[in-house]
Amino acid sequence: MNDNKFTPVNELTYNQAVTELESILRHMQSDSCDIDRLTILTRRAAELITECRSRLTATDEELKTILASLQE
Amino acid sequence: MIHEGFPSAPDTRQALTLAQLNARVARQLTVPSLQSVWVTAELSDLRVSGGHCYMELIDKNPATGAVNARMRGIIWAGSYGRLSARFLADTGQRLATGIKVMVCGTVNFHPSFGMSFVISDINPSFTMGEIERRRREILMRLRSEGVLELNRSLPWPDPTLRIAVISARGAAGYGDFINQLFNTPSHLRFSVRLFPALLQGERTSASVIAALDAIAAESHQWDCVVIIRGGGATSDLVAFDDYDLANNVAQFPLPVIVGIGHERDVTVLDFVAAMRVKTPTAAAQWLISKGEEALEQLQFMGSEILRAAADTMAGARTRLAYFDGLLPLAPSTALERAASRLHRASAAVGAVGPACIAPARERLNGRLRMIETAASAAIERQLTRLRSASALADVLSPMATLRRGYTITRIDGHAVKSVASLSEGTRIETVLPDGTVYSEIIRK
Repeated sequence: MNDNKFTPVNELTYNQAVTELESILRHMQSDSCDIDRLTILTRRAAELITECRSRLTATDEELKTILASLQE
Repeated sequence: MIHEGFPSAPDTRQALTLAQLNARVARQLTVPSLQSVWVTAELSDLRVSGGHCYMELIDKNPATGAVNARMRGIIWAGSYGRLSARFLADTGQRLATGIKVMVCGTVNFHPSFGMSFVISDINPSFTMGEIERRRREILMRLRSEGVLELNRSLPWPDPTLRIAVISARGAAGYGDFINQLFNTPSHLRFSVRLFPALLQGERTSASVIAALDAIAAESHQWDCVVIIRGGGATSDLVAFDDYDLANNVAQFPLPVIVGIGHERDVTVLDFVAAMRVKTPTAAAQWLISKGEEALEQLQFMGSEILRAAADTMAGARTRLAYFDGLLPLAPSTALERAASRLHRASAAVGAVGPACIAPARERLNGRLRMIETAASAAIERQLTRLRSASALADVLSPMATLRRGYTITRIDGHAVKSVASLSEGTRIETVLPDGTVYSEIIRK
């Protein structure tokens, strides 16, 4: 986990994102977590979660489009 | 009968009509041993027409698959409804081509339709046993080939959202599946494509395998395969107890979900597929719960990360507060600590002193005794030497010489060793052992 050297979330696979989330969580739960990095890590985690969630879910509009295309 | 001359051609009057022959055959067949007999056979070319069910009963050579025996079979409309319903209820499948049956019937020879076996009863447990036996054979073969568990041991992709569906086009089951999948509160972003196939009848296996091949060709685009078939009770499962189909599913590179099942029964496919569900709706529900699990995992990690951040902050704050409270007291605390350290050190020294000193004193005492001994010995030696030295001194002393009759003559305290230093009138002193006399030189 190098400072400011995070891979852009859209370049990660879902699995890589979840793995990174897990490692952030483990690091933050350990005693070695540096206060100075707390903000960076929390922001990165939020970014990863948002990305993963958006890959898992769709808006109403998107779902309607998908359904419509299936029923053609 | 009279023969005249050369053997002549048969008398045309004696020939039977075909109807007569058939009537004879029919009469010959009307014997108890051909009536109400139980027969086992495989069904082939089964079709229903006008309420009646027509089929070919065949016997195959188990090794070559060649047909050994064949007879037409009929179930008249009057019994077909009842027999087929009971058969379906008991075996979970319809009477169909390819299945083995044990039927009770009578051989009948119709003048215009020829010979057929008119079926009046069916034993469903025979078919169930046959299905079971065949299923076991296929499973054993897959196991011995080492492929039985392959699909079941594939890891599920995370997330499982891109779904290739094999189903009959326009089937109710497919509609149920789609509706279920896209109407969830969690709004999971599934993507689905239908790969149409036949899911009943003899061509099921080949058709589903073709659809699987089409998916395999673009397998990187999909997370899993769902094979579903419309709900309803009228589903024959025998088409899915097929070695080739099972082998294809077992070795398929993506996990396969099978939702063709019957409530009670399972097919070979149910044993090889990564996931088995009863209905298309259940297949959708399973996928949804998997997606929701992934969402919950995200939710969980989010809250854990927040909590960890809050904990770390709180811990840091507590530590700061602790130092804050400690700082004013620090100097006096340090003094106290130093004092108590001193105190402890001196107490320790006090305790340690006697313990160290006693042996040292003992050692010193020992040395002292040695020194005393050595000193008196030395003194004794010196005395002895002194004593012999004084005896010698006695011998060498002038007194001893004087006592032997010699005298010492001195002028002004200096011994006179030659007459040259004397002249008339010189005053001299003469030392004797017991005193000194003074005289004047009268003559030289």
